[in-house]
Amino acid sequence: MTSIELITYVTFSYLICAVVYLLACISTEQESGFRSGALGLLIIIWCVHTFAIGLRWVESYQMGIGRAPLSNLYESLVFFSWCIGLGLILVRMKFRTDIVVLIGLPVAFIALASTSLLDPTIKPLIPALQSNWLVAHVVTCFLGYAGFAVSFVAACLYLISRGFNSLEPYLPNQRLLDEIVYKSILAGYPMLTIGIITGAAWADYAWGSYWSWDPKETWSLITWMVYSMFLHARLARNWKGRRTAALSVVGFGAVLFTYFGVNYLPGLHSYF
Amino acid sequence: MNHPKGPILDGSMVDSRIKDEGARKEQSVLSDIVSFFTSVRTTIVILCCLAIASILGTIIPQNINLEDLRRTASPFYFRIVVILDLHNLYRSWWFIVLLLLLTSNLLGCLLQRLPKIPKEWRGAADKGSVSFHRSDSRPIHEVKGMLTESVSKLMNKNPTVVEGGEATELVWVKHRIFLLGFPLIHIAIIVILIGGLIGLLYGFKGNIQLREGEVGNRFVLYPSGAIATLPFDIAVDSFTLTRYETGQPKEYRSDVVILKDGKEELKGPIRVNQPMTFEGISLYQANYQVVGVKHVRLSVKGVDGAEEEINIRPGEAIPLPGGELQIKLASLDPGTTSRGARVEIDVERAGKQDRVVKVFRNDSDPAKVEDAKIRFLGYEPLYATGLQIGYDPGTVFVWSGCGLLIAGFVIILFTNLTAVSIRLTQGDGRTKIRVHGRSRRDRAQFREQVEATIRESLGKSSSGA
Repeated sequence: MTSIELITYVTFSYLICAVVYLLACISTEQESGFRSGALGLLIIIWCVHTFAIGLRWVESYQMGIGRAPLSNLYESLVFFSWCIGLGLILVRMKFRTDIVVLIGLPVAFIALASTSLLDPTIKPLIPALQSNWLVAHVVTCFLGYAGFAVSFVAACLYLISRGFNSLEPYLPNQRLLDEIVYKSILAGYPMLTIGIITGAAWADYAWGSYWSWDPKETWSLITWMVYSMFLHARLARNWKGRRTAALSVVGFGAVLFTYFGVNYLPGLHSYF
Repeated sequence: MNHPKGPILDGSMVDSRIKDEGARKEQSVLSDIVSFFTSVRTTIVILCCLAIASILGTIIPQNINLEDLRRTASPFYFRIVVILDLHNLYRSWWFIVLLLLLTSNLLGCLLQRLPKIPKEWRGAADKGSVSFHRSDSRPIHEVKGMLTESVSKLMNKNPTVVEGGEATELVWVKHRIFLLGFPLIHIAIIVILIGGLIGLLYGFKGNIQLREGEVGNRFVLYPSGAIATLPFDIAVDSFTLTRYETGQPKEYRSDVVILKDGKEELKGPIRVNQPMTFEGISLYQANYQVVGVKHVRLSVKGVDGAEEEINIRPGEAIPLPGGELQIKLASLDPGTTSRGARVEIDVERAGKQDRVVKVFRNDSDPAKVEDAKIRFLGYEPLYATGLQIGYDPGTVFVWSGCGLLIAGFVIILFTNLTAVSIRLTQGDGRTKIRVHGRSRRDRAQFREQVEATIRESLGKSSSGA
C-alpha cells in the first residue's frame, strides 16, 4: 500500500472517530469506558497517521529523491492535521475535557479531506527548497499553529458558554476553558518564535536576506505580534475571560491568513 | 484563599504604575512621559499599530516604480504616497519611528523592573502565596534546628542563615535563574531591533551577472538600481546545471575565484542555500541565463562514408571533407517545436560565404552540403550566472538576539523559582515563627507542601497564632 492510499484511509478513520466520539459524549458520563475507548481509537488512528507520514518519507528515498514530507501544500496539510491530532490528544490527557477533542476532530478530518483536492505525487525539490532548515522551519511553525488551533477551539467554546446560558451546562467549566486558551498559546508561542527564527536563518542562506518583508514573513510576524499582545494582556494587564478568548480568535484568524491567505498575494512564498 | 492570578506570574509583574499613582501628588508632563514608556499598555498599543502597518504593507504593492505611479495616479494620492512612503512602507520614516518607540518602551519597562531583581534573587518571598505564622514554646535555637532540617529536605538544599540581633532568618531559594528569563527575552528583542536598524543603515544588497569565464566587480544596487563597485573581483570559472529526469532543475552552482589586486584570495562553489562570504560580503546563487554557446557537436559524413564527430566553437572554421569548403557557426536557436534545437551554419568557399545551412536536432535526415552530410547532435550552452550580493553588519546582533530569545524561553518554560523564608524572633517567652513562600508554578501544591512540612516538623507543641 502506498502512503497516499494509507492517508485516504486515515482521513475517513478520523471522520468515523469523530462520530464515535460524539456518540460516546452524548450517551455516557465523563470518565466512562466508552469515552476512553473513543480516545483509544483516536490514538490508534493518529499512530497510523504517523506511520503514513514516515512511509511517505521512505518512499521518497525509494524514488531517488530522498526528502522529508513537508514541502508542498499536500504534505503540509497532512502534517498540520497530524499536529492537530497530537494537540487534541495532549489536551485531552492533560485537561481531561472531551469536548475540545469533539470539536477538533472534524477540523482534523476537514484538513486531511481537503488534501484530496491536491496533487499528492512526490515531486523532487527545486534548489531553493533543498535545505535542512526546511524541516526545522516547517515543523516548528506547524506545531505552533496546532497549539493556536487548540486555543481557538477552546476560545470558541468559552465564548459560546458565556454567550448562551442554555448551552453552558453541556460545556466544560469556563475556568478550565480559559486555562486551555492560555496554556495552549503558551505552548504554541515559543514554537512559532523558533519557526520564524529558523525561517529567517534559511532565508539568509538562500536569498541573502534574513527578512525581506515578503507577505508570508510579514503575516507570520503579525501573527506573532497578536499572540505577544495576548500574553502581555494576560500576564501583565491581567486580562481574562472573554477579552483573551476574543484575542485568541483574532490570532487564529491571522494564522489562517498566514497559512492560506498569503498565497493570494504576490511574493516568494507562493509555491503553487 | 484562592488568588485569581495568572498561572505563571504573580503580582510583582502587574503594572506597578497602578500602585504608584496614589502616592504621586503632582502630575507633571515628565512623569507622564516616563509612565508612557514604562507601561505595558503602551506596548500593546504600539504592537497593534505595527501589526496594522505591516498588514497595510502586504496589501499596498511595495517597491513599485514611482515614475509610473506619478503618471497614472491622482496628484493628491501621489503626494500622500511620497509623504508616507507607502510603497516602501517598511523602510518609511514613520515605521522606523514606531520601531524606535517600541525599543524605548522595552528599555523603559526593563529599567523599571530590573532593580527589583536583586531582592528577589536573595529570596524575598513576601508577595508569594505562602504566608502564615506560628509560635512555639521551645527556644529559638531548637526551633531553628528543626525547621532547618525539615525544610532543607523539602527544598533539597541548605538555607542561607542571617543571625541578626533580634531575629534569625532562614532563606531557601531554588532556580533563581528564572528571574533572568523575562529580562533576557526583552533584552533580546531590543538587540534584534538594533541589529535590524544597523542593517538598514549600513547594509546593502545588489546583484551581478557574469558570464562563464568573465571577471567583474561592478554590480547593481537594490532597490535604487545604481551601479556600485565591489572591493574585490569575482571570476566565474564555470557554471554547472543538473536536472532531474522531469526536466526540473536539481542543482545549479557557480565555481568562482575571488581576486584582490589580481591575487587569488578565495576559490570555491556558490550553490543555492550555500553562499560564499568574503570580507563580510556574501554572494548567493540566485539565477542563471543561457547567453551563448560554448560549442556545437556535429557529425559530418563524407563521401567515403566515414562519419566524424566534431566540436565547433563560435568563430572557429572547420574544413569539410573534400577540402574546398569550410563551415562556421552562424547562430543557434534552442528551439520550441518538435524539430528541436536549430543551428545555422555558414558554408564558405575560398573565404567567402557560399550558403547558409539549417540543421535541426530531431530531424531524421541529415543536412547535405555538396557531398557531406551533417547532423546536429547537440550543444554546450554558455551560461551567465546571476549572483546576489549582500552585506549586513547587523546580522551578528540579530542572531545573538535570537539566541538570547531562545535562552529566555528555555528559562521561563523549564525552570520554576521556589523560595521559602522563615523569620524567627523571641518574644513573651515563646519563639515566633513567620513563614513566607513563593512558587512560580503549581502554587497550591507548593503551599500545601510547605505548610505540611512545617506542621509536621514542629509537632504538637506549637500553636498557630
